[in-house]
Amino acid sequence: MDAKTLESEAMSAISGSATLAELDDARVRYLGRKSELAQALRDVRDRETGMVLNPIRERLEAKVEARRQALERAELDRRLREERVDVTLPGQEYRVGTLHPTTQIRRIVEDAFLGLGYEIIDDREVETVHYNFDQLAFPPAHPTRSPRDTFFIDPERLLRTETSPSQIHTMEAKKPPIYMVSIGRTYRRDEITATRFPIFHQFEGLAVDHGITLADLKGTLLHVMRALFGDDREVRFRTHYFPFTEPSIEPDVSCPNCNFAGCRMCKFTGWIELGGAGMVDPQVFVNVDLDPEEWSGFAFGVGLERSAQLRHDITEIRPFWENDLRVLRQF
Amino acid sequence: MKVPISWLREYVEWDLPLDDLASQIDVSIAVVAAIEQTGVPDVDGNLGLYRVGRVLEAGKHPNADRLQLCLVDVGEGEPRRIVCGAWNFGAGATVAVALPGAVLPGGMKLERAKLRGEVSDGMILSERELELGPDHSGILVLPDGEPGAPLADVIPLGETLLDLEVTNNRSDLLSVYGVARDLSALLRADLAPMPGTDPERVGEEPVEVEIEDLEGCPRYIGRLFRDVHIGPSPPWLRARLTAAGMRPISNVVDITNYVMLGLGNPLHAFDFSQLAEGRVVVRRARSGEELRTLDGELRTLDADDLVIADAQRAIALAGIMGGEDTEVSESTTSVLVEAANFEPVGIWRSSERMRLRTEGSNRWEKGVDPYLAEPAAALATELLVELTGARWTGHTDVQGELPERPLVPYRPERADEVIGLEVARSDQEDRLTHLGLELEGSSYRVPTWRARDLTREIDLVEEVARFELDRVPFTLPLRREMTGRLSREQRLRRRLEDVLVGLGLSEVITPSLRADDVDPNAITLEEPISIELAVLRTELLPSLIDFAARNVEVGNQRVALFEIAHVYLPRGDELPDEPLHVAGILEGGFPAAKGIADAIYAAFKTTPLVAPAEHRLFHPGKTARTEAGLFGEVHPAALDGSWGAFELDLESLFAVARDPVRYEDVITYPAVRQDLAFSIPEDVPAGDLVDAAEAAAGTELREMRVFDVYRGPQVGEGRKSIAFSVEFQSPERTLSDEDAATLRRRIVDALRERFDAELRSG
Repeated sequence: MDAKTLESEAMSAISGSATLAELDDARVRYLGRKSELAQALRDVRDRETGMVLNPIRERLEAKVEARRQALERAELDRRLREERVDVTLPGQEYRVGTLHPTTQIRRIVEDAFLGLGYEIIDDREVETVHYNFDQLAFPPAHPTRSPRDTFFIDPERLLRTETSPSQIHTMEAKKPPIYMVSIGRTYRRDEITATRFPIFHQFEGLAVDHGITLADLKGTLLHVMRALFGDDREVRFRTHYFPFTEPSIEPDVSCPNCNFAGCRMCKFTGWIELGGAGMVDPQVFVNVDLDPEEWSGFAFGVGLERSAQLRHDITEIRPFWENDLRVLRQF
Repeated sequence: MKVPISWLREYVEWDLPLDDLASQIDVSIAVVAAIEQTGVPDVDGNLGLYRVGRVLEAGKHPNADRLQLCLVDVGEGEPRRIVCGAWNFGAGATVAVALPGAVLPGGMKLERAKLRGEVSDGMILSERELELGPDHSGILVLPDGEPGAPLADVIPLGETLLDLEVTNNRSDLLSVYGVARDLSALLRADLAPMPGTDPERVGEEPVEVEIEDLEGCPRYIGRLFRDVHIGPSPPWLRARLTAAGMRPISNVVDITNYVMLGLGNPLHAFDFSQLAEGRVVVRRARSGEELRTLDGELRTLDADDLVIADAQRAIALAGIMGGEDTEVSESTTSVLVEAANFEPVGIWRSSERMRLRTEGSNRWEKGVDPYLAEPAAALATELLVELTGARWTGHTDVQGELPERPLVPYRPERADEVIGLEVARSDQEDRLTHLGLELEGSSYRVPTWRARDLTREIDLVEEVARFELDRVPFTLPLRREMTGRLSREQRLRRRLEDVLVGLGLSEVITPSLRADDVDPNAITLEEPISIELAVLRTELLPSLIDFAARNVEVGNQRVALFEIAHVYLPRGDELPDEPLHVAGILEGGFPAAKGIADAIYAAFKTTPLVAPAEHRLFHPGKTARTEAGLFGEVHPAALDGSWGAFELDLESLFAVARDPVRYEDVITYPAVRQDLAFSIPEDVPAGDLVDAAEAAAGTELREMRVFDVYRGPQVGEGRKSIAFSVEFQSPERTLSDEDAATLRRRIVDALRERFDAELRSG
C-alpha cells in the first residue's frame, strides 16, 4: 500500500472509532509494533522514505490523541448527564440575616447627606430641660413640656422628645459652617396603639452658614425625599409652628403610592406629611452665642419609622417593634 | 377648631371652590384636617323638599296610642297627612317638615310610608333629626314662619365645616373671626368689621370687681344683667354651636360660647344672686381651699391657682371652669358676665396640675389679646339683650397695665434673603396690612391680637413667607467647604452590622425602656406609660433573650438576632453614660457564641483576649469575657434550649480593631507548617498555651491554631492532649529547617516549664 493511501485509511479508522476500545484497535492496527507503518519504518534505509513516513506517524499519533480526548470528554459528559439533579431543590443552606428596616432607612438617609457633605451624629437620649426645651426657645407653657407628653426622670432630666437638642450641642461645640444630621431614638408619652409607640427614631438636619435660605431647605429636602422615595417625588411646604424655627414649615412629599392619583395612603390628597422644618430661629442663635445677622440656617426633623412606613407601605407601627423574624426577613 | 362656612362667610367673601380654598388654607394658614358636612345634604334641590308647615289638626292615630295623626299645611292646595311620634305640639304649631323624596341628614331618603295603616305623606322633624342640636324630646317647634316657606329661610339646614388644626402660637385662629382675618390676607379680600356693638345701658348699678393679682389677670370686664329670661337659644344659635362641636345648654351659656367661638375670648356667666355681697375678687386660691366645679368634681386648690371669688369663697377656677354654686340655672334672673383676660402660664400650670383642659383653658394657655375683652363683652351684651330680654344695668372694666402694640423694624429685603425668593415690596406690605399691621416709616405697628407672636422682624418675615410657600424655588446651599464623611466608629459600626447579617443574624430594634433592670440605680421614669416601659436598660441581653423567646413562641425557625443600641449607665444626678453596645443571641450554645465572637473580632482583624467569667444570664461554666464584654451559653433558666449570646461595648471593641490594617509580608518568603500536640493538665486553657508560645517564639510564630482536643487512656487521668497547627514565617528571610527547629524548641521548652506540657508528637 502506498503511504498516502495508508494514511488516509488510518485517518478514517481513527476518526470513525466510536469508543475508546475501537480507537485502541485502530491505534494497534495502524501504529502498533506489528502495523504496516511500524514495519515500514523499521525497514527505512534512506532519508527520503524516512522523511515521508515519520511525519505520517506523527500526524496519526496526534490524531489518535485528539480522538482520545474527544471520546473521553464525550464519555465524561455521558456519565455526568446520568448524574442530573433536580435544579429546583434547595441548595446547601447559607444563612443571611437582615438589617432592621429602620436601619436600612437610616443608611439611605446617612448616605444622602454624606453626598451633600454633612456629618452624621449619634447624640445622647437622656437630656436636660435646658437642652431639650430652653435652648430651643420653647415657650414656658408649650404642651410638650408637660409630663403628660414627655417622659421626665426628674424636673431637670428627661428623655429627648426630638433629636433637636443635637442642634444646640453641635452649635456649642463648633463654629459654623455646620452641616450635620443627627439620627437616633426619641421619646414621646404616647399610648401604645397599632400606629403609635412611645419610642421612635428621627433624623434631624441642621445647616448653618452665610446666606442659607428657605429655598435651600426645599432643595435639600427634595434631594433626601428622592433618595428615600424615588426620583419622581415632589416636595411642598405648608406653614407650621415650632418654637425653634421661624419661619416654620411642614414638608409634604408627593405620595409614592399613587403619584397624585389619590389613594388611602395619602388620604386622597396626593401629599404626605413628613415631619417638621424651618429656618433656625434667631433666638436659638442668640442662645448659642451666634450672631443671627451674620449666620442663617435651616433645620428639619423626620421620623425613620414613618419614612419606612411610606417606603414599604406599612400601615402600622407595631411591626417595627415586634421584631418578628417573619417581618424582618422581608426586608 | 371647627369653622362653620356660613359663619366664616359673614366676615369674608370668596368665590373659589371650597376644595381649592381648603388646600390654600392648608399651605398658608393651618392644616385642614377635614371638610365636614352636617345637617341636610345640599344636593339636587334637596333643600326644596324641606318646608315650614302649620299643623291644622292633630289627633291620636286610630291604630296606635303613641302616634299622632296630623294634617299639616305645607303651602300646597291640600294639607298633607303626616304621622308623628311626638306630643309636644298641637294644632296651630309651626313645624319643620320634610316631604317624601327628601334626603335626610345621614343620607337616608324619606319615602311615603304607611304607619300602622295610615299613610304618612312626609315627616315632622326634631332638632336632632336635622342635626341642629341634641334635642330629641319632641319635634322642633318654630317661633314663626309662613306655611310652605323654604325651611332654609327660617333655620340653617346644612352646614359645611373646616376642621382646622391650629398651631400653638396662633390663639387668634381659635375663632371664626380670626380665621376670616387670615383668609382675607390669603385672598387679599376685604374683612368685615368685628361684630358686636354695645346697646344702650339702662342702669347705673355698681359692679364691684377687685383684682388682687394683676399679673395673673390683667383685665376684668364685669357686666350686670337683670330680668334675664333663661330658656333655650333660637335654632340658628343652637345650630351653629352644634355644628362647631359644642352642646347648646341655655341662651345665656350659649351666648358666652358663641362669643368665644366667634371672637376667641372665653367668657363666663355667673348667677349674680349667688355671689356673696355681689362682689368679684380675682385672687390666688388659699392653700387647701375647695371648689366644686361645673363637672361635679370637688377640687382642692393650690396657692398657685388663680380663682374668681366672691366676698367669701372661690366661685370659679379662673379661665378653666366655673363653679357649681354660681352656675346659671333655670331660675336665674340676674347674670354677671365676665369678659376677662388671664395670663397663659398660670392657667396652663393649674390646668396641668388638675389635668383639666377646657375650651377656655385651651385658649388662655396660648395667650389671648387683652383688648379682645371689650368687643367680646359688646357682642355678648348685644346678644343677651336681644335673645334673653335682659336689661344691661351695670358695667366695670378693671385693668392693669395692658401691653403696648409692638413696633417692629422691618427690612423687606430681609424677607427675600430668608425665603430665597424676591417678593415684591407692595405684595409684602399688602399681606401684612391685611393681617392688621400698619406701616410706620420702616417699621410695622403690630395689632394687639398678634402682639404675642409678632415681636421680631423674623416673625413678620414668616407672615410674608407663608403666603409664598408654593413659589419658593429648590436650591442647595452655596458652599466653600464640603467635608461630610463617616467617622471611624460609624464605618466600623456598619462593618459590624454587615458582618453579623452575613453570619445569619437579623437585626432587631427593641425598646430601650424595660420593666426593670439588674442595676438598682438604673434610671427610672417619673410617670411611665406602662410598667413594661419604665426603666432605662443598662444592658441589652435581657431584651434579646425576650425577643428570641417571642420568636420561638410564634414558631420561627433558626432564630438568630442582634441589636446595636445605647445602654444608659447611671451616674447619680448627672446625665447617664450612653455607650453603644452590640448584643446577639442564636441557637447553638457556647460554640455558637464563641464562633460569633471570634468572627466579630476577625472582622476587625484581631483576636479577642478571652478569659472565663460569670454572669447571671449565662451558664456558670460556659461564660467568657473579652476586653469588650461577655459571651457564653445562655443559662437554661433564662431561656429554654441551647443558646449562645454575647454583649460587647462598641468603643472597647473598636479600640482593639486593627483599622487601618498594617500590611505584613506573607508572600515573599515561604512559611513552615508543623503540627504540635501537647499533653497538659486538664485545667490549663488552650489560650494560655498559645499566649505562652507567642511570648516564647516572637513574631515569627505567625499562627498557632487548635485543631484537636483529646482525652483518654493514652494521655492519662487528669490530662488532655491538644493538637495545634503551627505556622512559622519571617517577613525578612526564608526560615531554614534549623530556624524552625529552634522556634519549635523554644515553644516546647516554655510550655513544659510553665504548664507541665509534654510534647506528644510533631
